[in-house]
Amino acid sequence: MNRDPSPFRTASTASTATSPTPKYANLTASTNLRYSLTRKSIYDRHLNRTKTSELSKSAFAFLFGEMVQYAQKKVYGVQDLEKKLNLHGYAVGQRFLELLLWRDGRTAKRETRILGILQFISHQLYRAIFQKQADTLEKVRENEDEYMISDNDPVVNTYISVPKEMSQLNCGAFIAGIIEAVLDGHCFPAKVTAHTAPNELWPGRTVFLIKFEPEVLEREALRVGS
Amino acid sequence: MSSTSRARLGEEVWKLRTDKINAELVTLTYGSVVAQLCKDLDGDYAEVNKQLDKMGYNIGLRLIEDFLAKSNMQQKCANFRDTADVLSKVGFKMFLNITPTIANWSSDNKQFSLLFDENPLADFVELPDDGKAQSELWYSNMLCGVIRGALEMVQMSVDAHFVSDVLRGNDTTEMRINLIRYIEDEMPQDDE
Amino acid sequence: MNVSGWFEAVASCSSATTNSRSQALSLHPAASHRENLTSSSFKPPTPRPGHLPNMVVYAVLILNKAGGLIYQRDFNPGLQKLSSNDYLILAGTFHGVHAITSQISPTNETSSSGLEVLESENFVMRCFQTLTGTKFLIFAEPRQQNLDVVVRRVYELYADYVMKNPFYQIEMPIRSEGFDRHLNSYIKPHQ
Repeated sequence: MNRDPSPFRTASTASTATSPTPKYANLTASTNLRYSLTRKSIYDRHLNRTKTSELSKSAFAFLFGEMVQYAQKKVYGVQDLEKKLNLHGYAVGQRFLELLLWRDGRTAKRETRILGILQFISHQLYRAIFQKQADTLEKVRENEDEYMISDNDPVVNTYISVPKEMSQLNCGAFIAGIIEAVLDGHCFPAKVTAHTAPNELWPGRTVFLIKFEPEVLEREALRVGS
Repeated sequence: MSSTSRARLGEEVWKLRTDKINAELVTLTYGSVVAQLCKDLDGDYAEVNKQLDKMGYNIGLRLIEDFLAKSNMQQKCANFRDTADVLSKVGFKMFLNITPTIANWSSDNKQFSLLFDENPLADFVELPDDGKAQSELWYSNMLCGVIRGALEMVQMSVDAHFVSDVLRGNDTTEMRINLIRYIEDEMPQDDE
Repeated sequence: MNVSGWFEAVASCSSATTNSRSQALSLHPAASHRENLTSSSFKPPTPRPGHLPNMVVYAVLILNKAGGLIYQRDFNPGLQKLSSNDYLILAGTFHGVHAITSQISPTNETSSSGLEVLESENFVMRCFQTLTGTKFLIFAEPRQQNLDVVVRRVYELYADYVMKNPFYQIEMPIRSEGFDRHLNSYIKPHQ
């Protein structure tokens, strides 16, 4: 009952995947909300109802585009804009993670290793949201705390052409936010950023650079040591 | 074109000519947009409604081209009843995979309602329990703007607004659409 | 080629009731063969059934509702380039002529689609005006038959890569790398 992914639950109160579930999810006792008597409320509808539903990619593209335009009005630069898109993605990622783990039911696994969680993201999470796997998962050789997930053609960027004067921008920051939320939800705090890295075949290829917080590496080292 | 062939057209466009995406991604992204507005506008839900309508309007101005290109409609609707039919059976079908019911026509055929049995934007949603949202916020108000913007581009000036929403505890989700006027074709200005 | 030369070209103007409209409301014949350029399984488009194998499209122009030229691009050699000013005049003039020819009609009630095809010794031009008033002009080798198919596909690409790009301001000149790229990969293989 407490697992509704309603957009109005704020980040601070959202239970993350690994935090203990509150014992009592008594929503109705203290609520003043009105419910239709003839309609099912969200609590009566099965959470898997929309698991395989599809909408048009156009509808998403228009919505996403308008989100970008709205965000653009209130920012001072490309970084600021990417931050806003990241936050939108973060809100989406938190909720997706809950849905995913709830759907996994008893088979849901708590990832405790860096590689495990990154594989979860580039496989299960990616497939659930984008119906495909991420294209590559790599470790940055020079930096111990950095990893890269690449996507040859991120869904959010399909129709977007970034103007020259904003060439640093990659609206994949939204997906970076989703990834960040999922890492946070598993207690792997990290900063995730999106970078355009085209190759001959894939002009929109995007690399998500994941930089873990030091404590993640410390913990990983302890586990390896034991 | 009859109503059934429009329904068929809507089905065909949806099946054959529409790239699909996970519905929950759209739902949650829309939720994030609304929640952000509520935050930015400090819970002034009247303003949130306005902003959602405005964003929808901007989308409508663009979306109409996608609608026309993919549906291959090349003729104007003969009357407003036809417009309503196309809106529901082709427009809503190809973007949101729903066909809201058309009802409650006014006697002059200039006003009708769309009844939403399903509303993919509002899956997972419960309005904030702050004593205000349920009487002030029209969660899906962006749709009104989309319709207003899209129809304006094909020479129809309309007003669209929600009159009920199951999220508010109503038994139906109903949008009222009102034809204000047809915008006359204008000759190019440099032609005078 | 200069602008006045345009009016020596044969103008064919079809009313709303001619053949070109009879199939207006049915789905595009190429619908089921549409290449999916947008999915992750991107592959260079191959010529589809219904195309003349050696169709040559010279150029594509797009006019906004007010007759302003918002896009002009050459794809194949064959026509001399005009000065950018001439292109603007061409767009504005065509827009005006189109508006007037739209009024030529047997009755008051029905309006015409306006000027749709222009032919000259050196090229054929197909105009497609959307219901929103945007015009697409396709210049191709003379006596090309299937320009309708080309123009519809260009409209789809416009809907995808121009309209869905948040950095595009409507009615303004189109600078969209994605649109250029997809238009190019669609038109070029038809040489």
